[in-house]
Formats: sequence, C-alpha cells, structure tokens
Amino acid sequence: MAREGGWFQLGFRLEEGAGLEPARLGASGAIRAVRPSWSFFGLVAAGAPPVLQGALRAALPSDCRDLLPSETHVLLLREAALEARRVEAGPALDGAPAWRRELRPEEAAAAGERAAPDGGTGRGPEPRCLGSLLPAELPLVPGGYVVPRPDFFRPLAPSLRARKLALGHEHVLLLCAGGALFAWGGGRHGQLGHGELEGVSEPQLVEALHGVPMGEVAAGGWHSASVSDTGDLYMWGWNEWGQLALPSKTMAESHGATAVNAESSTPASGSSAQQESPKAAFISIQAFPALLDMPQGADVSKVSCGSRHTAAVTQTGDLYTWGWGKYGQLGHGDTASSDQPKKVCCFGDWGLVVVDVVCGPWTTFTHALPGKVGKTCS
Amino acid sequence: MAGSRADGGGRPRGSREPPPACPGPGPGPGPGPAASPRALWAELQALLPGTREGWRLECGERVESGVRLVLQQAADLLYAEGAGLAPSPSPSPSRSRACLRLSNVLLDYAWEKLNVGTWRDVHEDWRRVYAYGCAFKALCLCRAGAAWPEALRTCDLGLLMGASVWDNVLARMVGVLQQHLPRPERAPAGDAKEPLPKRIRKSSESPEVPPIKAEERILQLHCPSLEHFRDNFLLPQKPVILEGIIDHWPCMKKWSVEYIRQVAGSRTVPVEVGSRYTDEEWSQTLMSVDDFISQYIENENHTGYLAQHQLFEQIPELKRDISIPDYCCLGRGEEDSITVNAWFGPAGTVSPLHQDPQQNFLAQVMGQKYLRLCSPVQSEKLYPHEGHLLHNTSQVDVEDPDLVKFPRFKTAAFQACTLSPGQVLFIPAKYWHYVRALDTSFSVSFWWS
Repeated sequence: MAREGGWFQLGFRLEEGAGLEPARLGASGAIRAVRPSWSFFGLVAAGAPPVLQGALRAALPSDCRDLLPSETHVLLLREAALEARRVEAGPALDGAPAWRRELRPEEAAAAGERAAPDGGTGRGPEPRCLGSLLPAELPLVPGGYVVPRPDFFRPLAPSLRARKLALGHEHVLLLCAGGALFAWGGGRHGQLGHGELEGVSEPQLVEALHGVPMGEVAAGGWHSASVSDTGDLYMWGWNEWGQLALPSKTMAESHGATAVNAESSTPASGSSAQQESPKAAFISIQAFPALLDMPQGADVSKVSCGSRHTAAVTQTGDLYTWGWGKYGQLGHGDTASSDQPKKVCCFGDWGLVVVDVVCGPWTTFTHALPGKVGKTCS
Repeated sequence: MAGSRADGGGRPRGSREPPPACPGPGPGPGPGPAASPRALWAELQALLPGTREGWRLECGERVESGVRLVLQQAADLLYAEGAGLAPSPSPSPSRSRACLRLSNVLLDYAWEKLNVGTWRDVHEDWRRVYAYGCAFKALCLCRAGAAWPEALRTCDLGLLMGASVWDNVLARMVGVLQQHLPRPERAPAGDAKEPLPKRIRKSSESPEVPPIKAEERILQLHCPSLEHFRDNFLLPQKPVILEGIIDHWPCMKKWSVEYIRQVAGSRTVPVEVGSRYTDEEWSQTLMSVDDFISQYIENENHTGYLAQHQLFEQIPELKRDISIPDYCCLGRGEEDSITVNAWFGPAGTVSPLHQDPQQNFLAQVMGQKYLRLCSPVQSEKLYPHEGHLLHNTSQVDVEDPDLVKFPRFKTAAFQACTLSPGQVLFIPAKYWHYVRALDTSFSVSFWWS
C-alpha cells in the first residue's frame, strides 16, 4: 500500500489518456516548488535550474532560480535580472526577452537567499525583513510585483511591507508583515472581500479581517482564501462551482437528486442553513470573507486556489478539496464538482502525509511525504 | 445576449454575467428516431471544408499556443487520417470521445476568458474560440449519431456567446439540425391562429393600471411624416406614441405564443428569473423556448422574462416578420448598427425605472404594457443607484415609492401610457422609463443613434 513520497499532479493534462490517478512527478525529491500554468508547469528544484513540463518543455537558462508562468509569457527570476519570455508555438523559449529588469547586487543577493532550499515543508519562519530588497517569493519582487503578461511589473508602496502576493484572473491579494490583508483589482464577483462588487485600483485593506492576523493567502480565478495564524480558513468571491464550499445552485441543479442524497448521508459537513432550507440558501457571490468550518474542526496550514476550485492542507496532513472537478482536479477519482470540503483519500491510503499544495487553473499539485497518517478514509 | 451587452448600452447590465456555461441538459426530446444520422451528417459535411487542409482557424495572436494546439487537434480528429471527413456514425468511438473532450476543453477555457472583466472588454478572439468549441462539439455529437437536441443547444450557446466563425457556420448548422429534429406537434391547421386566450394569466400580483391623468398622457400620432417626427419629437427629445406604422408587419397577424413555440421551441435563449433585475433573488439562466413558455408563460408560479435578447439575429425566421421603422433613418448610423431586442414574458414582468444611452422605438406586438417616463432633466429627483453597475437605474420603486427615503421623487413629473399591440413608443435617449407587462407580452425594441 505504501508509496514513495514526492510531488503529485491531479487534474487537467492536455495530452489525452491521462487518468484520474495522481501522477507522481519525476525527480520529486529535489523539487522545491511547482509553478503551474494551464497547459504546462515549472518545477523549481534545489541545485538545478527549473524545468518546464507539460505542453511546453523548454529549457531554461542555467542561472534561473524561479519562474512565474502563464500561457503567454514565462517570467524568470535570474541571477541578476528579471526577465519575461514569450511562449511561442514549439518548444523554444529563447526569443529575445519581452521585458527585462536588471537586479542590483543587493537585490540579487536577497533573491538568492530566498531561493535557497528551505525544505519547503509547511509554513516556514517569518521571512526576514528585507526592507526594500526582494522581500519574498514571486510574484513579489523588489519595489513591487510581477505579472506574467504585459505590463509585467507593477510597483507597490514600501509602506505596505509586502510578505506574500497572489494573483487572480482580475484581482490581486497582498499579505503584509503583521498579517493584514489588502485586495484590489476587479471585484464583480466579490473576490476583493470589501463587501461590494466594485473594483478598486489601489490596494485596500480587507477590513472584515482586520485584527485577525493572516499567515497564508491564495487567489483563484474569481475567488479568494486566507488562513489565519491560528489555522482558520476564510473564503470569499464567486461560488458558482462551490469553490467557497458554500451551497451552490449550479451544483444542486447539475446533480439533482443525487446531490441531495449525498448530502443527507454526509454527517454534519455542510452548513446547517443548507439543510434547513435547501432552496433559499444558495450563494453565488460572497462579498465578505466567510469563515469556513472544516470537517472535524480541522486547522488549516496551507490553501491554494485554482480557477474554480480550492485545496487546503490541514495541520494533521490531510488534503481537502472542493469546487469545480470536471478535469479530476479535486482528486477524488472522479470528475464531479463539490460544494463541500471533501478529504482526498489516496495519500493517507498510501501512508503519505500531505505537507503542501499548489493549484494550477485546472490542476492540483500536492507534496506528500511518508509519515504518521491519522485516520484513513477507508 | 452577448451582442446586446457588447454595445455597452441599454438596460443596466453591468452586474450581469454571461449565462452559465453548462446549465444542466434540459428535458428536451430524445434523438429523432425517424431521421437518419447518415443523412444529417451528409448535410453537415456539405457545410464544412472537404479536407483538413481547407480549415483555417480564424483567431488572432492573443490566442495562446496551448489553445491553438487544442483547436488544431480537434480539427484533426474530425477528419479521418489523411482523408476527408470521417463518415458517420463514426467508426472510432475513441476518436469521438477525444474530439468531444477537446471541444469541452475549448469551451471551458474560452468560458473563463469570457468571464474576465466586463463583457464589452472581452476580446472577440475569445468569442471565436468559444464558437469553435461549440461547432466542434456539435459536430462530434452529430457524428456520434445521437444527442441532436444537445447539438442544437450547443450551437445556440455559440450563437449567444460566441462570435461568427467560418461564415457563421453555427447558424448554418442550426438550419440543418432543425430540419432533422422532430418538430413539436403542430396544432391542427387553422388552429394555430386560434387565440390562446389573449390574457393567459390574470396577474394577481401586479396591480391594475393606475389612472393616467390628462396632463401625464403621451401624445399619440398616426403615421406622422419623417420631418414632423424629427422637428417635433426627435430634435426636442420628446416621447410620442406612433400608430399605424407597424400594422403591415407580418408578426402582427402571425405571432402567438403557439407560433413562437413552433418556430423557436427547441432553441436555447437567455431568461431572467425574478421579477426585476434589481432584486437580490434575480438571476439569469439559459433554457429552451419550450421550457420558458411552459414554465413562465403558461404557469404563474414565478416570473421569467426573455428580455433584452437579440432573438432575431439568432432566429432569422422571426426576423422576417418584423422590419426596421422608417424613422430610424433619421439617425446617423447604418441600419446594421441598430440593436433589435426581443422582450417576451408573462404579465407582471417589471423593468425598474432606468435610462438607456440610445434612442429607442418600443414596438408592442402582443399584449399590453404600462410605462412611465421621466425626462433626464429630472434625474436628481430619481435617486440613481451609486456605483457604475446600476448608475442608470433609479433606487425608487415607481409604483410604490418610499417618499421618506426619496422625498424629491414626489416632485418628479412623469408621463405615462398603456402601450397596446400595434403601437410604437418613442423613448428619447437617456429618458427614464419604467415598464410593467399587463398580460403576456411581446415587444421589440430598436436602439438607434
């Protein structure tokens, strides 16, 4: 039953015949981070330049330390520069950079330090305050953040003390030193958490979370998630596919009677409001952060969002997923969607503990290691 | 719907989404047992290039290489190796499955692009990719020899949200599919015009028309000359009811609920559910005209409204029953820049008080509508919503105003009318208007500049 640990891929693959089983990525041991785009992904490994896999398999410069891919451009953090390269048809990624910015020596040094292997398990220590230097991981860069499409770079006020930044399709979430959360960009689906559907052009504090220090943040296509220092998970934005784990009308309609049956046989994981009045309680847009009750009151350590789904790792090493599941990205061995958190069983069954998760648009990548597994599903 | 949003005008729609991508399949009829898959496929084949090399994907460079790959692969799968189009039913189920999978990938990918930003900011390239996805999917379904209603529905989704590709192949496919689908049972000859009771449902929830005071009445004119209309109404921007100008339209004699069901019953259309778009509970969905009629026109549990939809672009057979009013020639634009929308719904549908950016002729074909109009000069008495989403909609419920909250509303001067079949109301650009249907109603609006 037991399997080798490493990074696993769930969900969409462009090539045909990909099954619904999690696929273990090669060279898993050395992988420090996975950077997914839609049709391909980058693997950042310790001691070697990152590689691209999937529909785009181009070689990257040997001094490349990290990357941020999209379907149009791949943004590279190199030893002494930031660089964006256009994705062309065919395997090459060696055209002239579409954008480039040299890093000052002290910026480059900070970047090197950040990119050094730290094991990548769970939440690391608070990043040291680097002042105006490279403060944290991509997309954050000295003086602002990068996006893997034109205009590539946007400045951020140093006073924000940026710690982590997440990019949605239209919105941006920023976690600051001290745990405050800012949101800006498009807001038509409530993804900013400001309580309204208007967009804002400048970073604006998510006031509903004021006083609750956050340690993790994630942006989906049109939804958002954050985890407090105490392991509480908050979600807001679009719930069309159940990606907030709130009752979704689309889900109820597409599943009809089966969904209702499944609900009544699932003990107490859904919201009680849903069970009391199944018709009235559907939520399409949640414009304020909502605290999500995880099954068994589990505390969350990591969260990541795909275009329309969400994945969270608990402090006990379980992986839960919910939202859009059409390409198998929820990891339950089927293509169903779910508007309730469901535990992904296979890792526990294999004697693996999940320590990290990163969602691509239609994929879920998890890092699972041999360990003391709690209760398995079966 | 796509087009009606794309022009950026009209009834406030900022908060609206393109309809959901994949609403559950309707309970439509099964595949027609009488028609032959082979015959249908032969006709569809005639619409397509004979060889794979003949296919040119028309999309700009913003469509990324990953998606292009999917487009190419889907086209490859439609053609047998090295030859022409594969015969139907397909000899290879795995090929059909793969083709269907790639079509769905295209649709899901394009759907996400269609939902980024506001609808008018969505680049046409993504609407083309969506249309390709629909065309591929419908072709895969037909080649597999089944699920024709779903194929038709897929084509309609492409017509609603996609852009024209391959010389409007989706519309041409619909033409073929409709001939092969079992038609709904036609009423016996002579019965088609037999009135469905004019007033299908007496609306208990909507109050009767309040008395219209003499000074509130909107002037009615019978066929005024172009000059007279221009000098006395268009230039000074005054509302007027025109009579006798659409009596010759075929729709005035032909249309009934039953006729619309016969012509368009199996077509998929956008429907607003909920009585007014400012309500919390309001939503949009896609359904067949058959379902819309049986759920909302013939049944009074809920309010559903086939509103602000360019039905006539989607269904040319209905377009032949109407024309563009001659007075539109007084505008600056070409005839094809005029937006023609259908508004079909039961008694009790309400369009809250709002303003549109263009001149509007509202032609009443079936049923009656109660309207109140207010000049844009008085906007500040109408308390428009704040924020850009609903800024052209008043917060006041015109027929039950909260005068404590909106005291200035009391001083707003309104005009009012009951619009009957054959009448055309000229609503000047930016003029505030409130509309409530008094019975089952079909109106056609013409937005022009």
